Amino acid sequence: MLKKEEPQDPSVAFRYPRVITYKHSLGYQSKFAHALKMGRIIATKCPVDGRCTIPPRIVCPMHHVKQTEWVDQGQRGKLLSAFKINFPMFDSRTGDLKSWETPIVSIELEGGARMDGWCSETDTEKLKPGMVLEAVWRPAEERQGRVDDILYWKPV
Amino acid sequence: MNGERIAIVGVGQTVHKSKRTDINTAELCAEAVEAALADAQMTMKDIDCVILGSFEPADGYSGPDKWIVPEIGAVGKAGFEMQNVGTTGGVVAATGFNMAASGLFQNVLCVAWQKMDEAAGAFGRGGGGANEYWTGQFPMSPITNFARRTYDYMTRSGCTEEHLAMVRVKQDQCAQRNKNAQLKLGLTVEKVMNDFLLAWPIRRLHMCPTTAGSAAIVVCPEKRAKKVTKKPVWVEDWFTCHQGGALTMAEDPQASTLGYACRKIYKRCGITNPKKEINAWEVYEPASTAELRWMEEVGVAEDYKAWKLFEQGKVGIEKEIPFNPSGGVTATNPIGATPVVRVVEASLQIRGDAEEHQVPGTINRALATAYGGQGENVVFLLKKTL
Ligand SMILES: [Zn+2]
Repeated sequence: MLKKEEPQDPSVAFRYPRVITYKHSLGYQSKFAHALKMGRIIATKCPVDGRCTIPPRIVCPMHHVKQTEWVDQGQRGKLLSAFKINFPMFDSRTGDLKSWETPIVSIELEGGARMDGWCSETDTEKLKPGMVLEAVWRPAEERQGRVDDILYWKPV
Repeated sequence: MNGERIAIVGVGQTVHKSKRTDINTAELCAEAVEAALADAQMTMKDIDCVILGSFEPADGYSGPDKWIVPEIGAVGKAGFEMQNVGTTGGVVAATGFNMAASGLFQNVLCVAWQKMDEAAGAFGRGGGGANEYWTGQFPMSPITNFARRTYDYMTRSGCTEEHLAMVRVKQDQCAQRNKNAQLKLGLTVEKVMNDFLLAWPIRRLHMCPTTAGSAAIVVCPEKRAKKVTKKPVWVEDWFTCHQGGALTMAEDPQASTLGYACRKIYKRCGITNPKKEINAWEVYEPASTAELRWMEEVGVAEDYKAWKLFEQGKVGIEKEIPFNPSGGVTATNPIGATPVVRVVEASLQIRGDAEEHQVPGTINRALATAYGGQGENVVFLLKKTL
């Protein structure tokens, strides 16, 4: 189908819609996904400086050593930042544009790794760096091993 | 560094616009190629290696070199396509420099482009996730990336929204003097602070626009460069540095390889006081607010204090710190081409050919950078004399 062009512009434009559904393998990171199904957050730990990272890594990028140890990160963390998106963006789960009402927070977990999540407190004025948040999970039977098995983070 | 000493002998870019429905992607690319060849006083016959690229998802073409190489008349030349998000133009130029420095090629053409008018601004709305498993729960784009980074920067530095607006106004003042820049808006601090809030503290005016544009350079080894032009721009050093992660935004909001890359090349080139020894800066800042942290990382400001320089009015074309005299990336952002635009602009400053936005005095050294993803950087140090 031709796109409507301005009358003074003789160029032709054509549409190129495409839908591809990929199925990516997680590999060694599957361990992280399995832990989520059990209601746990785990991270790899660097044997040199002890730093825990999410996403987990098979090798520490700074010290170039294997990271074989996985560490439980607990259920709570410190808030690092919080913001809301005020315009429609794509939902990559569906491919559709939608509005986003809930704040996105970044958290430093008890185990030291950092991750992002949604927050139950929608008033960003009330969210201050350093405050403690706790994970609220989907019911066990609904979990898929995805990061959003954690429904949101709730101020303690 | 080992290898041949090299120089940029020709530069070209398009006038950057939000839409170029009058031409196709290859024609856009050809505009910059023609300009760079004319500037180098060469034809495509002289070129023996072509390195090219764009950020493919933002254009919607896979392997665009397959049809763009013939369209720019470069069939049969050595070379290949590069691809690396916003850093694409950075790796295009760095690879071109490597080719010329290898001594295998005499006249290397580097060209990068982006025609963002063909994807309806989808990229800013989260059209390009890095890795669905880790980034899929949120819409990810430069907007959410820089909301996160800037929030953290404000927490650490104590700067206010007013300072962020000052940065954007400075960029606009520079862009208004650049004939090739896209956005020339006549901004005031008040206008920026009242602009539509995308994701606090990022307002629409803080983000780079979607642009259709292209840029190209011609690079030669020393002997050839001296024959070709009276105004070679010497490439003193370059460094490509990828970040080992940050697929989630939280990992380290200030993590960037820019500081690492700069420290590395300053040491190699014996630069101890970058603020004094580098006379012009063209740094890839996808959001105006990033300019603050980037100024600190490249060494013209102390950590978390760059905003004070804006308060004191020290940043601008005729000011103490000529940072992004072209207006930078918030005025013009053909993503994949943007790093080559930085190299072109830094070269023009060294040659004294930047016209209305020329930094006064002799520009002995200029620094250009590329940024992409959540922390990849390429850094280029250009010099007037060997
Ligand atoms: Zn390590």
